[in-house]
Amino acid sequence: MADGSFCPDCKRSTEVVFDHSAGDMVCSECGLVLEAHSIDETSEWRTFANESAENDPVRVGGPSNPLLTDGGLSTVISKPNGVQGDFLSSSLGRWQTRGSNPDRSLILAFRTIANMADRLGLVATIKDRANEIYKKVEDLKSIRGRNQDAILAACLYIACRQEDRPRTVKEICSVANGAAKKEIGRAKEYIVKQLEVEMGQSMEMGTIHAGDFLRRFCSHLGMSNQAVKAAQEAVQKSEELDIRRSPISIAAAVIYMITQLSEEKKPLRDISLATGVAESTIRNSYKDLYPYASRIIPASFAKEEDLKNLCSP
Amino acid sequence: MAQYNLEGCQSMDLAKHPSGIGLILQNIVSTVNLGCKLDLKMIALRARNAEYNPKVCTGAKSEEQSKLAARKYARIVQKIGFQAQFMDFKVQNVVASSDVKFPIRLERLSLHHDAFCTFEPEIFPGLIYRMKDPKIVLLIFASGKIVLTGAKSRDQLYRAFEQIYPVVVEYRVPQIGNEDKDSTDRVPRLLA
Repeated sequence: MADGSFCPDCKRSTEVVFDHSAGDMVCSECGLVLEAHSIDETSEWRTFANESAENDPVRVGGPSNPLLTDGGLSTVISKPNGVQGDFLSSSLGRWQTRGSNPDRSLILAFRTIANMADRLGLVATIKDRANEIYKKVEDLKSIRGRNQDAILAACLYIACRQEDRPRTVKEICSVANGAAKKEIGRAKEYIVKQLEVEMGQSMEMGTIHAGDFLRRFCSHLGMSNQAVKAAQEAVQKSEELDIRRSPISIAAAVIYMITQLSEEKKPLRDISLATGVAESTIRNSYKDLYPYASRIIPASFAKEEDLKNLCSP
Repeated sequence: MAQYNLEGCQSMDLAKHPSGIGLILQNIVSTVNLGCKLDLKMIALRARNAEYNPKVCTGAKSEEQSKLAARKYARIVQKIGFQAQFMDFKVQNVVASSDVKFPIRLERLSLHHDAFCTFEPEIFPGLIYRMKDPKIVLLIFASGKIVLTGAKSRDQLYRAFEQIYPVVVEYRVPQIGNEDKDSTDRVPRLLA
């Protein structure tokens, strides 16, 4: 805490001591206070590792959100302690309730999107992307008439696609509040068109492929690593074939084929639940895929037994 | 080459159809102005086969049929007692279907013609191609069937088809030699 500074009384450079309790810089030779009231910039509070992260006293508000009008400032005028009478009719109370949040609907929408994303287990990047998309679309008044749930679900769907982690429309349906697959599809087309008009060709969303969903479906079913790898290879090879089915149905049929060949056979019902594809659709896709079984199933996984064991439904 | 057994079908004019493939018109939508006020309730009650579809004539398979139907309708309205005229008959929409007879790789097509195509296999199995000139919407399916709509005349459809044909040929699914789809008795040669 010793500093060398020029003391005007001693007229030379002397050792200066910094007194933290009073915030003074004092010359150690003559006792002259050189600077008083220096501002302490160290931390006001101490946080320990074992304390709850609920009320970190270092923080004065929530994280700032650039999508909200004023960055999400959350200061409110609250009722003073020990005052009688009711707060709301007093002048302060009126100021608080009158100045209503301009982003009320936006915040509600963000909360709904966050809810849906949490139910699907999506990361924060996708959630933020969906929020951005919603904000862009919300500015256009033409949204008002449409089904709000479908719009929010579609924002989430588009965000997943843009981050290269697509979710099937049925999966989004399962967490969307009552929106139907068709409505979400229509809302998605609408949003994409609006955004392309707004900002030129920036909607980079490739077509979906069976492989994008395979990993997730397999883990829902609890397949072994070997089976998962075989399924991924099979799906890769199947892309060259001329099979006219939705990629999800193809994924489901490949999973069915692979599990029938391995030790743990999954019933059609489980696969149907995990993928969202109807059982009859899986059967039909399997019928389409069956003739090419030898071509798509990797040799390392199953050999001639596969043709004997695979039933042709 | 497909045999078209429609009445009034002309022999293929290769100048108009250089690809050698013709289109089958499926639907014509047209409107006409009868020029007088109509009491729709009365018409709906008094005419047989009446459905409230204000002034729109749909379902015809050719432009002539459409005009004929519109005239018949005007006649019916006249019989009921209104002073109907036949003004501004205009065909609003012509729809046609065609078949190129080979499978198409929709995904590649949508990748390369991104600006015009919408392809969402989850939502709809066909690729939606919005052609700018002429302004026609084509639904292209993996089987090779194509539906064209949004035209005001059949010439627009012909032009649109001739424009899309070379594109679609480019994305034909390559034929694999000796493709035997029903081989259930052959032992697979996995370790070849």
